[in-house]
Amino acid sequence: MDKEFIDLKQFQMKGALSPRTIAAAVVAFLVLVLLFTSWYQVGAESVGVVLRLGKYHRTTLPGLHFKIPFGIEVVSIVATERQLKVEFGFRTISAGVRTVYSEGRFEDESLMLTGDLNVADVQWTVQYRISDPYKYLFRIRNVEDTFLDMSQAVMREIVGDRTVNEVLTIGRTELAIAAQTGLQVLADKYETGIRVDQVILQDITPPDPVKPSFNEVNQAQQDKERMINLARAEYNLAVPAARGEADQMIRQAEGYSIDRVNRALGEAARFTSLLEEYRRAPAVTRRRIYIETMSQLLPKIGRKLIIDKDSQNIIPLLQLGKEGGSQ
Amino acid sequence: MNITRYGYVLIGVALVILITISSGFFIVNETQQVIITQFGRPVGEAITEPGVHFKLPFIQRALFFDKRFLEWDGDRNQIPTKDKRFIWVDTFARWRITDPLRFYERLRDEQLAQSRLDDIIDGATRDAVANHDLLQLVRSSNREVVVDSSVEEKDIASVLAEIETGRTAIMEKIKEVAQARTADLGLEVIDVRFKRIDYNNDVRMNVYQRMIAERNRIAQRFRSEGLGDSSRIRGEKERDLQVITSEAYRTSQELIGKADAEATSIYARAYGRDPSFYEFLKTMESYPDAFDKDSWLILSTDGEFFRYLTGTNP
Repeated sequence: MDKEFIDLKQFQMKGALSPRTIAAAVVAFLVLVLLFTSWYQVGAESVGVVLRLGKYHRTTLPGLHFKIPFGIEVVSIVATERQLKVEFGFRTISAGVRTVYSEGRFEDESLMLTGDLNVADVQWTVQYRISDPYKYLFRIRNVEDTFLDMSQAVMREIVGDRTVNEVLTIGRTELAIAAQTGLQVLADKYETGIRVDQVILQDITPPDPVKPSFNEVNQAQQDKERMINLARAEYNLAVPAARGEADQMIRQAEGYSIDRVNRALGEAARFTSLLEEYRRAPAVTRRRIYIETMSQLLPKIGRKLIIDKDSQNIIPLLQLGKEGGSQ
Repeated sequence: MNITRYGYVLIGVALVILITISSGFFIVNETQQVIITQFGRPVGEAITEPGVHFKLPFIQRALFFDKRFLEWDGDRNQIPTKDKRFIWVDTFARWRITDPLRFYERLRDEQLAQSRLDDIIDGATRDAVANHDLLQLVRSSNREVVVDSSVEEKDIASVLAEIETGRTAIMEKIKEVAQARTADLGLEVIDVRFKRIDYNNDVRMNVYQRMIAERNRIAQRFRSEGLGDSSRIRGEKERDLQVITSEAYRTSQELIGKADAEATSIYARAYGRDPSFYEFLKTMESYPDAFDKDSWLILSTDGEFFRYLTGTNP
């Protein structure tokens, strides 16, 4: 009896694994796989590249799409609208209102030889987009690494064709454009499917040990300007003042001239009118003038001696040193 | 029980059929190319078209190779140039398996291929670098240099020396050598480029010294130019001051002279009409100033002024 009981139970458990149950489980499993592998979503900035049995079939736009399940159709989502970025010679730790950069030096990437066999420290960014998702996915292995290598190679090639001065100062814009063009040409040649939007140059500086002497040049330039300005200021202080004094000298001379001439004219006119009067009555005029003058003169003289014309010998007797009055 | 066993047999048979079928076809995707081997030996042509392909199950094997452009990145090597400068050279290359059959025969797999490429490309690079001056390796073209006239004049080289070959041509040469040496390996070297060329530490220090010296020369020149220009301006100041004052003096003297002359002529014209009257007038006018209260004057009653002292009608 016990044996039968056990057999029955075993039989019942075996019954639990009957072919029908297994089939049902498998079917359920397959339905689940079907559900999960037959629809996919493509985000707004992406496209979906669909391979059917390994072969490229179609590219789908953003939205919800269906595909043949069970791995017959496989989708790769590629963000074609998003602008991507790689940095060389520096790293951004966190971008934001105030961007934080890494303190580290990435001199492996940033130091490069210039055309005059000097060394410059160049930091730059490449902004790019995936323009051809098919090529991006299927033409090159490790597209991103390849792109990094290409960027470095192109930048060094271009910097290597310029003087260090061009790279540091006046040639920056031209450098960025040449780098962008060159990189795009290479990206197309390598069939990367990448479109280079822009190459942006960040800091381009001389290497650290050389920086002080470059600053020295700027300093010297400023010193030169300063010295020249100082001399000019002195000039502008002295010369206008001298001009002012010169003008004054001339004005004074002019004033003297006018005064002299007017004085002369005045005195000449006075004499002339006097002369006319004199011509009319010479003797009288002469006498008048004489008497006027004398009456003006004699009070002034402190010691006068009027001697009668007939007296004689009195002059030798006078002691002219004494105080004498008129007699 | 019979049903169960029958079911098991059914399942087993189904499984066998499935496995056989799955061994009879394979899927090639867009990045792959395939050769079929039978008992270890390759048969037929390489299959490069993506999609479903068929083969004999179990007997034939499908070997997958990459159809894409592949990367090769060399270690950086220190190589002397023709002008005896030691530089670090870092190259990279792109290559492709063009003939998977040949590739399989010669190289078996990618690992060996990378190793062979190391030898070939490194060797070609070393030769190229040793045969050229550093300048040829750094520069690519003979472009016109844009000169910043405020800084570069006589002190530092503001022109780039002419080159004959140049970087691009040298990289091309290396590629050609590599292609020739890999011609029968079933792969093609597409491109070889210098990723980095750099000085070794000793040379770099020397270069820095040179750069510092150049800059110091320029700074020196600016400073001495400043001194020169400021001295010149000061000299001009002195000169201009002299010119201004002397010219003003001359003009004022001329004016005074002219005025004096004119006054003299006016006097002469007027007084010249009656010199004796003038003399009389002038003498009369000067008498009051000729004497003062301490002067002695002895006069006679015979004079005109005093004759009436003796009577009304002398």
